[in-house]
Parts: sequence; structure tokens; C-alpha cells
Amino acid sequence: MFQVELSRQTQTLSVVLEEILTSPIMWFFYALIPCLLIDGVAVLPAPQNLSVQSTNMKHLLTWSPVIVPGEIIYYFVEYQGEYESLYMSHIWIPSSWCSPTEGPACDITDDITATVPYNLHVRATLGSQTSAWSTLQHPFNRNSTILTPPVMEVTKDGFHLVIKLEDLGPQFEFLVAYWRREPDAKEHVKVVRSRGIPVHLETMEPGAAYCVKVRTFVKAIGRHSPFSQAECVKVQGETLPLALALFAFFGFTLMLVVMPLSVWKMGRLLRYSCCPVVVLPDTLKITNSPQKLISCRKEEVEACATAVLSSEEPFRSWI
Amino acid sequence: MKAQRVSLWLVAAMVFLWSVRARGLRRCLISMDIHPVEETFQEIKKTIQAKDTFQNVTILSTSETLHSIKPSDVCCMTKNLLAFYVDRVFKDHQELDPQILRKISSIANSFLYMHKALQRCQAQRQCHCREAATNATRIIHDNYDQLEVRSAAIKSLGELDVLLAWIDKNHQGTLAA
Repeated sequence: MFQVELSRQTQTLSVVLEEILTSPIMWFFYALIPCLLIDGVAVLPAPQNLSVQSTNMKHLLTWSPVIVPGEIIYYFVEYQGEYESLYMSHIWIPSSWCSPTEGPACDITDDITATVPYNLHVRATLGSQTSAWSTLQHPFNRNSTILTPPVMEVTKDGFHLVIKLEDLGPQFEFLVAYWRREPDAKEHVKVVRSRGIPVHLETMEPGAAYCVKVRTFVKAIGRHSPFSQAECVKVQGETLPLALALFAFFGFTLMLVVMPLSVWKMGRLLRYSCCPVVVLPDTLKITNSPQKLISCRKEEVEACATAVLSSEEPFRSWI
Repeated sequence: MKAQRVSLWLVAAMVFLWSVRARGLRRCLISMDIHPVEETFQEIKKTIQAKDTFQNVTILSTSETLHSIKPSDVCCMTKNLLAFYVDRVFKDHQELDPQILRKISSIANSFLYMHKALQRCQAQRQCHCREAATNATRIIHDNYDQLEVRSAAIKSLGELDVLLAWIDKNHQGTLAA
């Protein structure tokens, strides 16, 4: 009796199971089970090949992009300083500029603010899909930045040696070395903290050549860049004093000749204008003896009287 | 004559040792570039200090502690204060605002860097800890323990301007590399 009941129950169970296994609705629910088991749908691949390039204290995190045809992928970048990794390892801080970002690169300069190792990780998102976090293999410390020789412009402002330096930001100061290009010349060093403003180095002596080279120093990491190539300038001074001397000589000679001439001429003019020499006309000049003059005068009077009478007639007739 | 010569040598040796030690202190203090940290704190100072509800008490107790520190104890006191903030204050403070969290992280990591530099100095016997610095440090820790931990942490964060000004003043003239 008991055995018959048991076999009947087993038969019922097998029929029910068979129905379940063949029902299409049930198969649909079976397909959903893997999706329910996974936490957040991680269909997107994680970004690969994370690396940081750092030059002159500008740090750039790059990675290989995740490609989904026809879709725009957004990336989230988070960082964790050595302090967080030691004392609160669950804390990750979203990057200032890259949460989210489109491109496969992120300027993390504003995030890396201490000279300690930083962990960085990135993940890709597409709508509601997110990838797993991909972590930078070796933590990045900003003291590994590559410091390049700075760009400088050396100019002459008259006799003044002036230099203009590129602006690398407030963390940089410049060490400018300059010297006269001659044997055993002393090298001077000037520390420049101003950026983008021309700086006066020295007043040059005419005819001498001066050379300048510069390097940067970053106090936050205690490192210098290599020196730039030396640039030399020279002030043309020799010909100018010579020209001046020649000019002065000729001018002086001219003055020696012209001055007396003009003084003499002025003197003559003055003499003529204030004390002129009065010259008797020839007709009044007494050249003969007085007796002769008296005998001459008689003849002259007669001639003169006739001349007067002859001239009075037309006058009378006119009146 | 011999005694005179010996005493002269002793004096010269003492002067030499003192100058080496003084130079060592100066070399140790060179890594304190505090201005970026001051600028970062200025950006969050008002928000942090507004959260401090116990205005009548102070943890740093500057008159009892910081102002009583002699120059020879500055290195040790600085190291102890940095350790206090790194080991206790930053850890006890829970910050939810991401903007403020970013600034506190910057300060905490900078303090960690400076603390490590001073620890290296101590390992090279250039940062000796004497009783005065140890006592002052203990007063600060005791003040901190008397308050509830969250309140103590926020108050200590608010007093960062006092600490940074003290570090700046005591390490001036030694910042040039």
C-alpha cells in the first residue's frame, strides 16, 4: 500500500517537472537569471593601458579608448593620494575636470597637489552601462615630472641686457646665469620669480659680449631643470666714439676759421652803421694851390653866371 | 701651555659641532613649503570654522603650547603636530562635500609629505625631541580627547590657520633651497 502511494507521488512529480522544463515562459525566466546575479550590468570593457605623461608639472593621464560604434563613451576618473590609501583606502575622490569626460585623456594637474604617490583609476560608461574600474599600474608621484630647459628671449635695450622668460606657472622660479664673454670672467646668478615680465640683468659696456643661460627650480619637488643653451649678445660701441671724435674735430676746425671771419665782418658792419666814414665828392676836393684856385674861381664864376642865366629863362617863361 | 692648547681645541671642537648641528637643523627645516597649503585652506576656512560649535575652547592652546616652544624644539614640535593631524584629525573627520573633501585631501597629503621629510631628519639625528616639545604635544592630545571625536576633529581643522601661521613663522628664512 505504502509502495503504491510512493510510486504515484513520484509519477506526479515527474509530470510536473516535465511541464516546467518544456514551458517557453519558464525558459524566458531562466535566461534572466545570469543578469540578476551580476551587480550592475558590466557589459562595457574597462579602459586599458593607463599611463601618465608629466612635463614641467603638467600631468596628463591617458588610456586606450573604449570603442562602441555609433555611441559616445563617457569616462570617470578618480584619484587617491597616499594619505587616503594608508588611512582610508575606500575613499576615492572624483577628478576635478574628468568626472565625466569624453576623450581618452585627462589633465590631472589640479588633482595632484602634493608630492606623494597617487593611485588613479578610470571606468567607461554608456547610458546605464558601466565598465569595471581600470587602475594605473604604478602610482604616480609628481616628483617624476620631466623638467625641460626654459625658453628665454635675450634682448638689448640700448646698453641694457634684458631677458624675457616663458610663464610656467607659480611653482617655477628661474635661475639666470650671465657673464662677460672673456677669459676668467665671473658668472653672476639672479633668481627670477616674476613670469612673463622682462627682467633687467646688467648695463653692458660697449664693445663687450655678454652670454646668458637659464634653468628652472621647482620648490615643491626640490629639483632643477637642465640649463638652456647659452645665448650671447654684443653692443656695438667702438665706431661711435670715433665718429663723434671726428665730427668734433671738423666742427672745431670750422669754428676756428669761421669765427674770426664773422667777427671781422660784424666789426665792419658796426663801424659802418654807427661811425660811417664820410668821403668828399670829387668836385669838392681841393687838389690845386689857393692862388690857382682864385684865378680858376673867376673863370668858373663867369661860366657859372652864364649857366645860371641860361637856366633862369625857361623858368621865367614858365612862370 | 699644553692645558691652554687642549682647552682651545675643545672650544674649537664645540663650536664646530654646534655649527654642524645648527646647519643640520636648517637643512631639516628647508622642506617646509607651506604657502600652497595656506592657500588651499583659505578656500575652505569659512565653511570649516562655521561648523565648529564649541567656540570657547581651543585644542592647540597656542599660549600654553606653540608660543612657549624654543627654536631648538621647533623641528620636533612641527613633526609632532603634523603627526597629530595626519594620524588623528583627518581620519576622525567625515567629509561629504566633494569640493571640501578635495581640499582636505590636498592638505592631508601635503602634511604626510612634510611629516615624512621630518621623520628622515629625525633618523639622521637632526630633529631631536626634548621634554618641552613632548609636554606641549601631550597637552594638545589631552585637549582633543576631552571633546567628542567629531567635534574635536572639526575644531582642529578650523585651527589649521593658527598651525600654518606658526609653521610659516618658525621656518622663515630657511625656505630657500
